[in-house]
Amino acid sequence: MNRRSIKLIVSLFLILIVSCNEPETVVTNIVHTDGSVTRKIQMKSIEGDVNKRFKVSEIQVPLDSTWIVRDSVDVDKKGDSIWIRTAVKQFKNVDELNLAYKKDSSANKNVPRQAGFNKRFKWFNTEFRFSERIDKQLSYGYPVKDFLNSEELLYFYSPESLKHDKETGPDSLKFRALADSIKHKTDLWTTKNIVSEWIGKFSDLTAGRVGKDMTRESLKARQDEFIQVVESNNAKFDSLWQNGIILKELIGEENAVNFKAEADSALGSVTKYFLVDFKDYSLRIVMPGKLIGTNGFIDSSHVLLWPVKSDFFMTEPYEMWAESKIPNAWAWVVSGIFIVFVLSGVIMKIIKKD
Amino acid sequence: MKPESEKYNEVLNLLRKSKPVLDSTDDIEREVIKRISKVNSSGLRLSGVLDFLFSWVYIGWVRRTLIAASAALVLIFIYQQAIILKRIDAISRQTVVTDKENLFTHSDEIAKLLMVYRNSGKRFPSKTITISESQMNELLESVKELQIKYKDLENLIEGDPELKKLVHKKLIENNNNNLNL
Repeated sequence: MNRRSIKLIVSLFLILIVSCNEPETVVTNIVHTDGSVTRKIQMKSIEGDVNKRFKVSEIQVPLDSTWIVRDSVDVDKKGDSIWIRTAVKQFKNVDELNLAYKKDSSANKNVPRQAGFNKRFKWFNTEFRFSERIDKQLSYGYPVKDFLNSEELLYFYSPESLKHDKETGPDSLKFRALADSIKHKTDLWTTKNIVSEWIGKFSDLTAGRVGKDMTRESLKARQDEFIQVVESNNAKFDSLWQNGIILKELIGEENAVNFKAEADSALGSVTKYFLVDFKDYSLRIVMPGKLIGTNGFIDSSHVLLWPVKSDFFMTEPYEMWAESKIPNAWAWVVSGIFIVFVLSGVIMKIIKKD
Repeated sequence: MKPESEKYNEVLNLLRKSKPVLDSTDDIEREVIKRISKVNSSGLRLSGVLDFLFSWVYIGWVRRTLIAASAALVLIFIYQQAIILKRIDAISRQTVVTDKENLFTHSDEIAKLLMVYRNSGKRFPSKTITISESQMNELLESVKELQIKYKDLENLIEGDPELKKLVHKKLIENNNNNLNL
């Protein structure tokens, strides 16, 4: 049985976010009008050992022998070597890209991801939509937008470089305060998610075998009370849980004895989702034609950019999307001629009537 | 003695009564008819085409349908363009992330540069220039070098308060000179 304290879960969760064996990776999708995608993976590593560097199992996205790979080396400001690997592959369509995701053997293989492409003819323009989506991990979690305001949300989803620039820039005090506020609120969000997920899983396991006081609704109604119990016993959570003390406090002595196995199993399930082994990377999308909409950031080379982190898709699906359009010149000409023709006819009729 | 006027009238009457003898009246008649029909036929062709082309104008329901279709096209065009402009405006106000995240800039990636060019809204000068790949690479290298030197210079100025003060003063002077110009 997998028993870990909430504190440990949160700590490991945070540690995983900043784990550093994997290369820094930027994935660029260059989308074409026919739906084909040129995918470029750029990896940067400071690992000296050639065998450890750029191992497929360490890379954040699917990569195999069918890719065209090029290696180079650069030197950073400190004079250290930076190994750079660029891999490029042309995908005929998003289905081919999704197939690569299905056969994924990369570091993030446990997190299902999928791409989508949509082309819509709208007479004067043809619009394109490309997206990459990661489904949510928790079934009973709360959206982060319930905890953060719009400014905090924007900052929460921002790339690290942007956060770093702001926290060391002219308004550093303001942004550090903002970062602290976000941290405080997201800690609460994490705890609430753990409790909510545990209630959900526990209810699933005990469905139909419990009294009125143990239904999902009644447990959910006591959620804030549960959170308080968890937070007040945070330091010794592990031992208190093992001894059944916390469980007794939560659901009563009799229920704690009867449903100890289910409670442990639910906690194990929650732990599995919170300790999802995900290695962060950045995703970039280059759309055909003129960009008309996106939920991403724009980087210094005017390319759309998204950071991909595990907490972004913990409780809600994380969709990185971009829309663009290409004007249909022939439709503009045909429409112009048609309008002139109708207008001429109407004018002619008016003249003849006079 | 007859007056002059009487003489004139007599001559005139005489001339009126003595009609010329035409030997080919049929030919003349044919020629006149031919010329008249020629004039009429060319006028008929143009108006015929126009009448055919715009015959729908006289059919009420066709006229109304075509006018409605034209109006719909205009409205759709205005609506679509307004929506697109609004969305583009929203994008232009979106946060721009500076360097770092964009880790790799291989100077030999001409395709990437073209991609950047396209995504920058093609805001490069409209003049046509011919430049080879190697020249482009050279240019990029120079820019990169220049940026590094600029950053070094910036750091140097930042690290020396006196130098910073002096540069600041010079910049103000320069600005004032420009304004005077």
